[in-house]
Amino acid sequence: MTILPWEASRKRAFIIGLAPALLVLGAITLLPTLALIVVSFTPLSLTDPINTFHFNNPLGNYRQLWADTRFLNSVSVQLKLSLSSVALQLVVGLGVALLLNARQAILSAVRAVFLIPMVLPPIVVALIWKIMYTPEVSPLHRMLENVGLPVESLITNPDMALWAISFAETWQWFPFTMLMVLAALQMMPDDPLEAARIDGANRWQIFKYIVFPYIRPALVIAGLFRLIDSFKAFPLIYVLTNGGPGTVTEVTNFYGFIQAFNFSYWGYASAIAVLMLAGAFLLSWLISRWGGHHDDE
Amino acid sequence: MTMSNSGSQSAAITPAGVDRPAAGPSATRSLEQADSAHLAAHVRKGRSTESARRTAAWLVGIASIDGRVVGALVLLLVVMFPFLWLVQLSLRPTNDIFGESLLFVPSLDSFRSLLQSHFAGSFVNSLIVSTASAGLSLLFGVPAAYALTRCRFRARGRIALWILVTRMAPPIAFTIPFYMAYRWSGLLDTNLGLIIVYLTFNLAIVIWLMQTYFAAIPQALEEAAYIDGCGVWSAFWRVTLPLTAPGLAATAVLCFVFSWNDFFYALILTRTNATTAPVAIVNFLQYEGWEWPKIAASGTLVMLPVVIFTILVRSYLVRGMTAGGIKD
Repeated sequence: MTILPWEASRKRAFIIGLAPALLVLGAITLLPTLALIVVSFTPLSLTDPINTFHFNNPLGNYRQLWADTRFLNSVSVQLKLSLSSVALQLVVGLGVALLLNARQAILSAVRAVFLIPMVLPPIVVALIWKIMYTPEVSPLHRMLENVGLPVESLITNPDMALWAISFAETWQWFPFTMLMVLAALQMMPDDPLEAARIDGANRWQIFKYIVFPYIRPALVIAGLFRLIDSFKAFPLIYVLTNGGPGTVTEVTNFYGFIQAFNFSYWGYASAIAVLMLAGAFLLSWLISRWGGHHDDE
Repeated sequence: MTMSNSGSQSAAITPAGVDRPAAGPSATRSLEQADSAHLAAHVRKGRSTESARRTAAWLVGIASIDGRVVGALVLLLVVMFPFLWLVQLSLRPTNDIFGESLLFVPSLDSFRSLLQSHFAGSFVNSLIVSTASAGLSLLFGVPAAYALTRCRFRARGRIALWILVTRMAPPIAFTIPFYMAYRWSGLLDTNLGLIIVYLTFNLAIVIWLMQTYFAAIPQALEEAAYIDGCGVWSAFWRVTLPLTAPGLAATAVLCFVFSWNDFFYALILTRTNATTAPVAIVNFLQYEGWEWPKIAASGTLVMLPVVIFTILVRSYLVRGMTAGGIKD
């Protein structure tokens, strides 16, 4: 009997609890997004803000994007970097997870240490690899020199710079895939494995037909998460190559940053940001669909 | 494995247990004593057995070193090598930066000179901004997460998607409007400005993560508190919140770490007064020449809190960083 007024007063109390957070979240995420979209329809430039804030040619920025070879190049650089580093992370993360998936105290300690790259401040990761790629302080370069194979720095070499960044990105983020796969492996029932072993399946067959199908959803989710985050890659590029040599490592995010904060073309940079936001939205929606699907099973 | 485990267990009970029962006058009495001794041992064994079991697990692990463990350890060394190189570089004496030998007397000179430079101020800024942002996000986010968990709002799914998108959104999308708003309002290059910006991702994390913790607390406890005369929020404050304390602490740590690690917002929204430690590192790289030990020392200092937190609250951190990917 006493539960009834409790239920009624609860609803009101919950709305009071929820409102401040949603108001703040709205003020700091929805309003800026709206402002961003509005600005993306103007040629706003910070050098002359009053005369450039108009809507005479609302789609001008978007039309210009299609003809801007530097932008199109940045998209292709972004795709190369994202796809290569995410693929590497998935392969390495999966391999390490399979290696560490056993109930041994040592292995669980090793698992813990492997998390370090992932939690490090990205700027420190960038610093670590700046040191690795700078011949005068890098132990790798010194070693190669000592055996008579001096190599010039990878990050100043136009053919290698992007792969050097992709490698550093993989170093930082393979633990994410490792974690996701380990979590999936730990929830895997033993029975099918036993049955397969009794039926005489070899290790590869067991992996291919039993283990892999079981961890595939975890891999897909990990891949999607990392794909979205890879569009934000900034500190590594800023510190290692600054987009160069030339525009070889200039990803879309970095190009938007240059347009806004070096050239002060706010309208144009906003249009780039809107496109990136749309991409993030689309992929998030995919993840929530996937997550929901996963729930129903 | 089972054998040696149970062996170490009984071995641990004996020293922790009670004095051996003295041979009593009657058999019954001695039996009684033995019984109570057993019981006492059972009660007291707690800690020592636990630690003994852990040691035993380690020993078993070391004893049964196989290819897998060797492979894992070698891999660990290879993967952690760049990280360890940074740390050793920060400890090198300035006159021996490019020394070949790994055997050197560690020196704290680089750290000392950092503390006397602007870096100290940036480090303090980082601490203030990260702590305040974590605190504010908890203040707003925790009640919201609780309300979302306990009440089936119709817009729940849409709010969840909104929060996910906020987490996924590229920072540049928020930076451009925030920069314009801050230039106009004078929040550019202030700690307060950064604290507000960090709410964009921290608030989403708090609302997302705390829901899983609240969902684990049975609602019956709150109803009991209500019958005892508590209102909704006082029941929450006195009953539910204390029960989620570990999750709350972990969420706070996670917010702190995410703010601490941020580079992009701080680079753009600060200039001189409110620079955070990551921006100070970049300034070293760009303006102070290539003082490698000093640069390495600043990197080591910046990662120190994060590495410490990782060791302390690892399992919670893992849960937070993979939130949305792994279902609890």
